[in-house]
Amino acid sequence: MTAATTELVRPLAARAHNPFGPVLTLARRRFQLTARTPRELVVPLLTPILFALVIAPSLKTALDTTSAYESFVATGTIGLLIPLNTMFAGIGVLVDREAGAQRELLTAPISRALLVVANLLVAFAITALQVAVLLVAARARGIHFDITAGGFLWFLAAGSLFTVGMYGTAEVLAARVPSTEEYVGRVPAIAIVPWFLAGSLFPINALPGFLTWFARFLPLTHGLALVRFGLLHDSSSLHNIWKMQNASAMAGLSLAVVAAFALLLTAAGIRAFGRHAVH
Amino acid sequence: MRGITFDVSPGEVFGLLGPNGAGKSTTVGMLTTTIKPSEGRARLVGYDVAAAPRAARAVSSVVFQEAVVDRALSGRRHLGLHAELWRVERREAEARIEELASALELADLIDRPVGSYSGGQRRRLEIARALVSNPRVLFLDEPTVGLDPRIRAELLDVVGGLRDRSATTILLTTHYLDEAERLCDRIAIMHRGEIVALDSPRALRAELGRQIVELRARDDVEASVAQLHATGIADGDAFTVGQTIYVPLHDHSGADALALIEGAGIRTSGITTREPTLDDVYLRLTGGQLAEAA
Repeated sequence: MTAATTELVRPLAARAHNPFGPVLTLARRRFQLTARTPRELVVPLLTPILFALVIAPSLKTALDTTSAYESFVATGTIGLLIPLNTMFAGIGVLVDREAGAQRELLTAPISRALLVVANLLVAFAITALQVAVLLVAARARGIHFDITAGGFLWFLAAGSLFTVGMYGTAEVLAARVPSTEEYVGRVPAIAIVPWFLAGSLFPINALPGFLTWFARFLPLTHGLALVRFGLLHDSSSLHNIWKMQNASAMAGLSLAVVAAFALLLTAAGIRAFGRHAVH
Repeated sequence: MRGITFDVSPGEVFGLLGPNGAGKSTTVGMLTTTIKPSEGRARLVGYDVAAAPRAARAVSSVVFQEAVVDRALSGRRHLGLHAELWRVERREAEARIEELASALELADLIDRPVGSYSGGQRRRLEIARALVSNPRVLFLDEPTVGLDPRIRAELLDVVGGLRDRSATTILLTTHYLDEAERLCDRIAIMHRGEIVALDSPRALRAELGRQIVELRARDDVEASVAQLHATGIADGDAFTVGQTIYVPLHDHSGADALALIEGAGIRTSGITTREPTLDDVYLRLTGGQLAEAA
């Protein structure tokens, strides 16, 4: 080992200020780390694919229902895929904190909210890719969708906002639990239990009365109703929530609910991260 | 923290020395804006760390006590990431990374995942990373804790090189006295959230006189200290750690003190005279039970 040279420290030129530079740098780092953990990419996809391609057709056969039920369940599995994937993405925050470079990033001359935003961008991109894989696989399996340009926009808006909100939930949970083990232990309650109540496998009005009321307050119920409205041109799920006749009005209301969910949980996620990072 | 005040001059290597729990890392945490102070004010290169935290972070870098790395990423990626976040111009950063990799003997490892590095290699990488942005203030938070002696010696060389050949201000926390003595221009000794002494290592040692008597008492320690006071050997700065009594000599030579102790009939199981060290200063202020005049 030799001693450091005289050139170890000397003035450097500062890069021109690019407001998106830091967030892209952080997002690239998160993506590189995620890409080295195939578990985070594959595991969340397995269960929804199983539901869409195996369980839905099996239920159709066993219950002697129409092909519309396959489409109903296939779209319903999006409501499982998004929470599972975003919650899995949240594990990266804990790994960063426990065994990664989070402390170094906290001393960087950037807003700490950007760390959350960068993670969100990567979680969003991977979720989008997985939803696309799910839909393509379902279509290849012969499951029918009825997509128009307008419908696709409703689906896109609902899916995007719900993903953002769920990632905010993941950040809040990651900031509040002390270890990865505790985080993973709470994922089923957040990502899976609501899925059974939100009209994924059957309409919410098939639930007992009080659970139907409860389901109306779940953002996932609104998200799934919008996904079906967008991909199947079916407003019955929206009607089960709002009991109105105007489909666009109902869709607008549900989108407002999902947007509020996204906004609130993102703000909460940034706040929780900041409060945990600086104590 | 119980309220501490200190100034560090540009280019100075300033040590925070103290036992675990003394408040060293908390101080660094407040200066690097990862811990929010409940009151008080701290300025880093003129920037108030509470009012302008990003500006303060822009002029500083930290090497943490424990490994703070992404094991899956390469060393080069770590340095590049730091350069991008600290807004170092791309070409300048690339040249800088090569220079630092060469200077810190990382050139052969730089493209390997950090998970494959040894402890010393990883710590050298962390120092290189902190230097990529040419910080005006470098925080080294117990940088040699947990390293084997050889790697520790290597790192002390690196930090010593920085001290000798750069204008970077370094704030070093440590509980290794030799490290503080070797590297620091001034040292603040911390104890229970307070600074109990602040001066150069030489001046701190000088407070304990020209020589110190270290004796292990066979009988009751307090009674032995009382006898030392009665004979006029010990002043108010004598202190004890367990059965060992430390007596700084201000007015006596070592030989005179030994003769007086023998003449006073103080029973010992071992006795030596030597020059005071920083350990003695540290023990007296933080670890030793200050001997009250009996």
